[in-house]
Amino acid sequence: MKRLFAIILDAILGSAVTSMILLIIVPELTGLSVAPLLVIPATIAWIAAATFGGASIGQLFVSSKTERPLPNGLRSHMGWIAFCSSIVAGWIVTDISPIEFFSGEGLKGAGRIFGALFTPEFDVLGAALDAMVVTVFTALMATIVAVPMSFVLSFAAARNVMTGGTHERVFYVLLRALLNIMRSMEPIIWAIIFSVWVGIGPFAGMLALVVHTIASLTKQYSEQIEDVNHGPLEAVSATGAKRLQVLWFAIVPQCVIPFLSFTIYRWDINVRMATIIGFVGGGGIGTLLTQYQGLAKYNEVGTLVILITLVVWMLDVISARVREALR
Amino acid sequence: MSLLSVRNLSHTYPNGYKALDDISFSVEPGEFLVIIGLSGSGKSTLLRCLNRLIEPTHGTITMNGQDVTHVSDAALRSHRAGIGMIFQHFNLIPRHSVVKNVLYGTLGSTPTLASILGRFSSEQHQRAMEALDVVGIAEKADVRADALSGGQQQRVAIARALMQNPNLLLADEPVASLDPATSHSVMDYLERINKDLGTTVICNLHFLSLVRRYATRVIALKGGRMVFDGQPIEITDAWFRTIYGEEAMEVEIR
Ligand SMILES: Nc1ncnc2c1ncn2[C@@H]1O[C@H](COP(=O)(O)OP(=O)(O)O)[C@@H](O)[C@H]1O
Ligand SMILES: [Mg+2]
Repeated sequence: MKRLFAIILDAILGSAVTSMILLIIVPELTGLSVAPLLVIPATIAWIAAATFGGASIGQLFVSSKTERPLPNGLRSHMGWIAFCSSIVAGWIVTDISPIEFFSGEGLKGAGRIFGALFTPEFDVLGAALDAMVVTVFTALMATIVAVPMSFVLSFAAARNVMTGGTHERVFYVLLRALLNIMRSMEPIIWAIIFSVWVGIGPFAGMLALVVHTIASLTKQYSEQIEDVNHGPLEAVSATGAKRLQVLWFAIVPQCVIPFLSFTIYRWDINVRMATIIGFVGGGGIGTLLTQYQGLAKYNEVGTLVILITLVVWMLDVISARVREALR
Repeated sequence: MSLLSVRNLSHTYPNGYKALDDISFSVEPGEFLVIIGLSGSGKSTLLRCLNRLIEPTHGTITMNGQDVTHVSDAALRSHRAGIGMIFQHFNLIPRHSVVKNVLYGTLGSTPTLASILGRFSSEQHQRAMEALDVVGIAEKADVRADALSGGQQQRVAIARALMQNPNLLLADEPVASLDPATSHSVMDYLERINKDLGTTVICNLHFLSLVRRYATRVIALKGGRMVFDGQPIEITDAWFRTIYGEEAMEVEIR
């Protein structure tokens, strides 16, 4: 009886999943509509696999707790169902279309853009370099402005520092929440806000990056603070030191190197972000890129892309080296 | 008058665990008091209650006749400044030089801004060198603290405590991470400070052989309760089994 029930459950699940695959994904992939009849053998195969392969979900539902470590087994099956169904759902929602990707029309478009990118027009190089300098400095200024604020805030955002009673606890929780909200708003959204506030240009881009950098660095810094060895804190407190002295002498020395490392990495990230932010009015090379893209001047776009790639790559290497040396 | 007097001290951790249960004892000036007990018996908690790194849940602590159980801010800091403390893991500031670490012993009496800017007076520098001399490590003054061996680091920690001119020195298993020879050298420094400078010492220890060698008085904790208070020679085999359990065997450290 139980066994029958398990098989029925498997059959329902199996037919649902196989029909989703055969009737939606396969036609999308191949352009061929599959005979609905194919669902029947596929379902049978599924049930066979479930029953003899030991992955029966129906079995899981009908068996009693003592027979099987239910929570564990259930969780792993649920994991599989969630994984498979999100691939199916994702495929449909993202409009994945191998047909367009490989169609003659699609390939022609790809040929055009790659052709242009690989025959860059170097007349724009001067303007591009100027814009690149703006972008790099936008990122640098944003980092420099954000660091002191992040440094101060990070102590208030560290659980092991905010131990002085309820009001500190409340402040800590509010600050954490605010930082999380600030961080979940992408810099590009901040850039849109600030380009309306202070006008389009590098300043708007910088402000957007400052907000995001403060939120990110404060989080990274404070996590580092929460990770410090508690011993020196006790030792410095035991000398009768004031709170600020405890923070400065017991925590800061344990954190400077990681802080520097985070900061350099953040500047590196900010250069990339400053480029993207340029697309929505943050100035610099991103703004230049959207202009040429809008005019469909793909050879000029090619030059800009090469320049951006080179600079980002260079900064990546340099920042990795510096961070390596700091360790 | 006793230097320190503890009455009915209890501590319950936030998770509800009662680590100290109704502890009372007094410490006379010049004593070398050793606290023994199994790991987890509450020795560290007791020591940290004395300088209020941990807040007692019940009871009173009186130091030099003053009730310090509930003092806060400046009074609490001055209470702490009068008590030196050394730790099992030394707790030096790793990237800073030895002499700086010793100077940090004066933080309690140095204005915040001056200390942050590194402006310690020449008198403080001189005292730091003297303190390093006491523990025989003055030549390492400019070496980074984390470049020293364990025994050397513990001596720097002692020098840091000496900078406080303490009436009382707390030592939480000061030799538990050192080898036997180094252990004796560190204990000898504590003994010399106790004898020569007259500083009262309260020290948590693991090994009974060290207790017999250095203690003038012993307190034993078991499960947060005080089960013994007496002379080292009074710890008989029977007491030993009471404190450490029937299964325990005494291990020597020479
Ligand atoms: N922060 C804490 N929270 C909860 N329990 C703790 C905490 N610290 C210590 N304890 C418990 O209190 C008891 C005494 O700890 P401790 O004073 O460190 O003992 P000892 O130093 O004698 O080894 C132990 O059982 C320990 O597990
Ligand atoms: Mg301990």
